[in-house]
Amino acid sequence: MLEPSLDLYGSTFDSVDGILRELLARSRARYALIIDHKGFVLMHARALWAPKPPSFDSFATLVASNYAANRAIANLFGEDGFRETVQQGAEVGTYLEELGAEALLVTVFDTTAQLGRVKIATKHAADAIRVALESAEEAPPAMEFDADFQQDANALLDGLFGTRQR
Amino acid sequence: MSTINFSAREINFKIVYYGPGLSGKTTNLKQIYQQVPAESKGEMVSLATEDERTLFFDFLPLDLGKVNGFKTRFHLYTVPGQVFYNSSRKLILRGVDGVVFVADSDPARLRANAESLRNLRENLQEYNMRISDVPLVIQANKRDLPEALDLSMLKAVLDPQGKVPVYEAVAANFEGVFEPLRGVATMVLEKLAQRA
Repeated sequence: MLEPSLDLYGSTFDSVDGILRELLARSRARYALIIDHKGFVLMHARALWAPKPPSFDSFATLVASNYAANRAIANLFGEDGFRETVQQGAEVGTYLEELGAEALLVTVFDTTAQLGRVKIATKHAADAIRVALESAEEAPPAMEFDADFQQDANALLDGLFGTRQR
Repeated sequence: MSTINFSAREINFKIVYYGPGLSGKTTNLKQIYQQVPAESKGEMVSLATEDERTLFFDFLPLDLGKVNGFKTRFHLYTVPGQVFYNSSRKLILRGVDGVVFVADSDPARLRANAESLRNLRENLQEYNMRISDVPLVIQANKRDLPEALDLSMLKAVLDPQGKVPVYEAVAANFEGVFEPLRGVATMVLEKLAQRA
């Protein structure tokens, strides 16, 4: 399946990294992540004061799945999707913005941040990231897969799962 | 299609365990979680009902190590097998790179196996994917059942053309759990190498 993905590389990466850090500073949120629709983390930033985060792998998977489920619910009612996805617990909340068809921007905040400020800063960051992506000039390099690639991969698979039996 | 993250130097693959209800998909993931060393795995997440039936999915990230300087990871998912959870199954298949089809060797479940495979084919079509384009292996699970179906019968129903690797397993005893995962992992890596 040709799943759309973001090319976050070189100067685009640096630019988006700066936007995420600015988002954290403006909103006083703990973490900001860009994840794809398969649930993989593409980039993340963490406020200096923020506590150690939970596993971002698990978090990203759950956010992407939750987003997909919410979208399916919206479709049942003839909507393309829901305009806002906010979740608030007693201490921690998340706010999500779409980054086109390719990815999601999610901000994790706690009671020290105001929801309104988080929303505005996240929307602003999402706009800035879209602009940065549109003006990206540097394409990621083509990846080379030589004979060593398969050999190295097989050796690692042997190490993890045992020798291949055919 | 695999996700290549150049900035983080990561290659990520999504492997989905598919099959009829109670065929042993979650058991596979639990066994993998128990057997893989701590440094090669992340947290296992299960979204299940109170009676431990999969409601949405189970998830387990595995870290293979560095290939060509890229950290290579597999995200393993199960789907809920029960017929009425098809919406969830469809969502989980998004962006799939490889499938382990867990078939139940119980003769009473032969029809359920066939229906689940047909359902896999239909759900992949929703993403404009053909089942023949997706790296696929079949795990014939519960081979320890006294009345277990002949393997030839399972193959005749699920893969009459004999194109798909089939592995026998008793997942609950950790027999034949790694082999199909290794098989599908090899296939997705070969596919990535061919694409480049």
